[in-house]
Amino acid sequence: MTLPDARNILTAAAVVAVVLLAGCGERARPDGPVTIVFKHARMFGDDPVPRLIAAFEARHPGIRVKTEALGASSDEQHQFFVINLEGARGRGAGFDVMMLDVIWVPEFARAGWLLDLTDSLAPGELAGHFPAAAEAARWNGRVWALPWNFNVGLLYYRADLLARHGLSPPRTDAELANAVRVIQAAERDPKLDGFVWQGKQYEGLVCNALEALWASGTTLIASTGEVLPDPARAEAALARLRGWIDAGLSPAWVSAADEELTRRAFGDGRAIFLRNWFYAMDLFEEPNSPVRGKVGVAPLPRLTEGVGAPGATGGSLLGVSRGSRHPEAAVALARFLASEDAQRVLAGGSVLPTRAALYADPALVAKRPHMPAFRDLATSARPRPLTPAYLMLSTSLQPEVSAAVVGVKSPARAVADARHQLEHALSGLR
Amino acid sequence: MTGRERQDRRAAIAFVAPAVVVLAALTAGPALWVFWLSLRERLPVFGVDRLTGLGHYAFLATDARFWSAFRVTIIFTIASVALELVLGLGVALALRGQRVGRRSALSLLLLAWALPGVVTARVFEWLYYPAGGFVNVILGAPLNWLGSPTLALPALIVADVWRTMPFVALFCYARLLTIPAAVYEAAAVDGASRSATFRFVTLPLLGPVLLVTLLFRTLDALRAFDLMFVLTGGGPAGMTETLTVYAYRSLFQTLRLGFGSAIGVVVFLLVMLVAAAYLRVLRRQDATA
Amino acid sequence: MRRRPLAADVAVLALLTLYAVPFLWQLLTSFKPEAELLRVPPLWPSRLTLEHYGVVFAQSAMPRALANSLAVGVLTTLLGCALGVPAAYAMATLRVPGAGALMLGIVASTAFPQIATVSPLYLVMRGLGLRDTWAALVLADASFALPFVIWLMTRFMREIPRELSEAAALDGAGRWLTLLKIHLPLTAPGLASVALLTFLFAWNEFLFAFTFTATEASRTVPVALALFPGVFEVPWGDIAAASILASVPPVLIVVLLQRWLVRGLLAGSLTE
Repeated sequence: MTLPDARNILTAAAVVAVVLLAGCGERARPDGPVTIVFKHARMFGDDPVPRLIAAFEARHPGIRVKTEALGASSDEQHQFFVINLEGARGRGAGFDVMMLDVIWVPEFARAGWLLDLTDSLAPGELAGHFPAAAEAARWNGRVWALPWNFNVGLLYYRADLLARHGLSPPRTDAELANAVRVIQAAERDPKLDGFVWQGKQYEGLVCNALEALWASGTTLIASTGEVLPDPARAEAALARLRGWIDAGLSPAWVSAADEELTRRAFGDGRAIFLRNWFYAMDLFEEPNSPVRGKVGVAPLPRLTEGVGAPGATGGSLLGVSRGSRHPEAAVALARFLASEDAQRVLAGGSVLPTRAALYADPALVAKRPHMPAFRDLATSARPRPLTPAYLMLSTSLQPEVSAAVVGVKSPARAVADARHQLEHALSGLR
Repeated sequence: MTGRERQDRRAAIAFVAPAVVVLAALTAGPALWVFWLSLRERLPVFGVDRLTGLGHYAFLATDARFWSAFRVTIIFTIASVALELVLGLGVALALRGQRVGRRSALSLLLLAWALPGVVTARVFEWLYYPAGGFVNVILGAPLNWLGSPTLALPALIVADVWRTMPFVALFCYARLLTIPAAVYEAAAVDGASRSATFRFVTLPLLGPVLLVTLLFRTLDALRAFDLMFVLTGGGPAGMTETLTVYAYRSLFQTLRLGFGSAIGVVVFLLVMLVAAAYLRVLRRQDATA
Repeated sequence: MRRRPLAADVAVLALLTLYAVPFLWQLLTSFKPEAELLRVPPLWPSRLTLEHYGVVFAQSAMPRALANSLAVGVLTTLLGCALGVPAAYAMATLRVPGAGALMLGIVASTAFPQIATVSPLYLVMRGLGLRDTWAALVLADASFALPFVIWLMTRFMREIPRELSEAAALDGAGRWLTLLKIHLPLTAPGLASVALLTFLFAWNEFLFAFTFTATEASRTVPVALALFPGVFEVPWGDIAAASILASVPPVLIVVLLQRWLVRGLLAGSLTE
C-alpha cells in the first residue's frame, strides 16, 4: 500500500469515528402535540403531582406534560441545573418548567436561565403568598418564578414532657437550657437527648447558622454588601451553636446530622427539642408515630428578650426555562400548579403551601390543627440572603461553620476565615 | 534525504499525526489552558470573564482552607505511600515462595486494586457505619469513624492503602521472582542470616523497583479524588479535604472556573515537581548502578 | 533455597482471603434481608435474598449506567488503540521528527492530574455541545488512555527485531502491511493487556464522568453508585448490590484475564 491509501484509511476511520460519536449525542425532539417537560424532585409520601398534571392536561388538551425526577439532594439538583443550563447556552436544555429551591432564583435569573414572568402574570397574582415566599420569587424588580411550597424553621417540643414538669415552651436560650436540664434530670433516660438541630456540613447548616446570626442581631450580608458586618456578633452566634454541644444540651452527633436524622431522633421520642421545618409535623402525627399527639410548635428561642429569632424559609418555586420551545404552555403549567386550587391539593399531601389563605382553610385546618400556628411563624419568617452569589457564599461558609460546630476552630477564627473566603468570593463580581 | 527516507518520514508523520492532534486537543492543550484560566476571573453564571493576574494565587497564599487542604494532601500522601510500601513488600515476600494457589492468591490481592474507587468508598462507608458496621461490631465500640475530626483521616488512609497496596505488592513480587535462586544459595553458603540476606541481598536488588513504585504511588496519592470525595466529601469540617476536593468544589459547585483552576494548577505543579525529583534520583541511581 | 511447607502456602491464602474481606462483606450484605442488615452479630444472615438486586434493576439508574459504562469503555479502548497503535509503530520503527520530545511529552502527560485538566475540558465539552453524551466521556478518557497506549505499545513494538521489518520492506511491503502482518500479530498479547487496562481505567473513571454528565440517563456506573438515591435513609443493602454490579468487569478481569492484566501493569515499569 502506498502512502495516500494510508491517509485515506485514516481519514475514513476518523470520519466514521466522529459520526459514531456524534450520533451518540442528543437527538432532536419529534414534532407532535406540544409536550413540555417538568423537572421536579419526588415528594415525600403520597405524591399529588401526577393528579395535578392530569387535571392540567384535561384543561389544556393541546399540551402534554412529561415529568422527570430530580436527584434527592438540593446540591445534586443545583449541579444538574447549572451544568445543563450553562452548557445549553440558550439552545434549550430539554426541559421547560423547573422546580427551583428557594435560594436559586436570583442566581438563575442573573445567569439568564429563567424566563421573565412579570408580564405574564395578572396584577396581584403574587399577593396571596406569604411575603417571604413572594420575595424569593423576585429579583431586580422583576418576577422570575412562582412560589410553590413552603417551609419555615421552627422549634418542635415534647409538649407532654414539658407539661409533666410544669414548664412552658421556652422563649429564650436560658429557658431552653433550663427545660432540658430539668427534664433530663427527672426522666433519667440516658437515651433522651436535649436539643437536636442540623450541624452537618451542608446547606441545612447554613440555615441554622443564619438563624443564629439573626438571633444575635446581625446578618450574613449587610445592605451595603459587606460580608459578616459585625464580627463580634457573628462570633457570638457561632459560639452559641457550639455552646449547645459543649454544655451537653445537644448531643455530639448533631455535628453530622441533617434534617432526616434529627427528625427521626425526635420522632422516635429520643429528643426533647428539635429545630426543623414545617414538613416534619405531618410525620410526627402519623398513626403509628411514637410522638403522635405529643408535639408542640413554637418560634425559635431568642438569645435575649430584645432581639427576635425568625426562622429561615425553605421550599421551592416554579420557574420556566428561557430556552423553552413552548413558553406559553410552560407558563400556563407553572401558573396552574401555583394556583390556590392546586396548592390546596398539594397541602392535602405532605407539602405545605405558600398561600396564606390556605392556612385558615377549614378543611386543611381540620386535618392539621397546627396550621394557624404555622401561619404566624410564616409571616415572621425571613428568607436567606437573596443574591445571585448566595450559593457561592453558602458553599464557602459551610466549612467554616462546620469547623466551629465540630470544635476544630474557635468561633473567632471561623468568623475571620469565613470573612476572608466570602470577601474573595464576592470580589470576583466587582 | 533519499526518496525512501522522505517517504519514510512522511509515513512516520502520517501515522503519528492523528494521535498527536487528539493529544494536543485533549491533553496538552488543556494542560496549558488551565494555567491561562487560573489567571482569570471566570464566572459563567454572572457572565464575568476578565483577567485578574495572580490574584487567585495571592489569595491562596493567605487562605487557611488552602493550607489545610495542602496539609491534608501531604499527610495523606506520605502516610498512604509509606504504609503501602511496607505492607506491599511484606506481602510480596510472603508470596515469593508460594507454590500452591498462586493465581488465587493474586486474584484475592488484585481484587482490591481493580475495583472502582467509588465501590471502595461505598464498601468502607458501610464498614465504618457507627451503628452496626463490620468494624465497630468486631471492635465492640461505637466509634464514629467518618464523623470524628480525629478519626476521619486515618479511616480514609486505611481505605486508600487497602486499594493501592496490591499494586506495590505485585511489582515487588514480580521483581523477586526474577532474582535467581543461586543468589540466595550463595548468601546461605556465606552463612548470612535471614535478616542479613534481606538487608544486603534482597533489598538492594529491589531498590529500583521500589523507587519506581514509590514514584507511581506518590503521584497517584497526590492526585487522588474519587475515594475522599465519595467517602467523606472532605468532611468533617474539612479534615479530609485534599487539594483535589477543594479544587473540585470551587470549580463545579458554583462554577468559579478561574479560582478552581488556580488550585488545580497548584496540584499540577506539585505533581510535576515530585515527578521531576524522583526522576532525578532514579537517573542518579542508574548512573551509579 | 528451602522449599516452603504447604502450611505456609495455606496461611498466605487465608491471610489474603482476610484481605479481601471488605469486598466479601459487601457481597454478603447485598444478599442480606433488609431487616437483618443492622442486626449484627450474627454476621451470617438467616437466609439469602435477591431483593436488593431486584430494587437495583427495577428502580435505580444502574441498568442504564451499566450500558453507558460498557459503551464508553469499549469506545475509549477502540479509539485509544486506533490512534495509539499506528503512532507507537511509527515511534518504534520509523524516524519520527521530534520523537524524543514527543515521547517525553507523552510519558509526562500520564502524570497530569485530572483535576487540572477538567476545567478546560469542561469548556471544550460545553463549546462542542457534548454534555451528557458518550462522546464527551470517550474524548475525556482518551486524554489519559491515548498516552498510556502509545507509551506501552511503543515498548512492545521496540522488542520486535529490526530484521523482521527490514525483511518485509525488502519484499516490497508498505508500512501499513508491515504493521498489520508483522508487528500487530507479534505484539498481540501486549495489545490485549493494554486494551484490558484501558477498558478497566475507563470503567472505573469517576471525575470526568461526574462532571460531564448530569442526567440520570447518561451516567456511568461509578457516578450512579456515588449518587445512589436514598430518600429517607441510606439503603445499605441496595447500595451493596449496586456496588457488586459495578465490580463485575473488574472482578472478571482479575480472575479470568489475570495474566494479561499483570503483564500490562508490569510492562510500564520493569526495565527502564
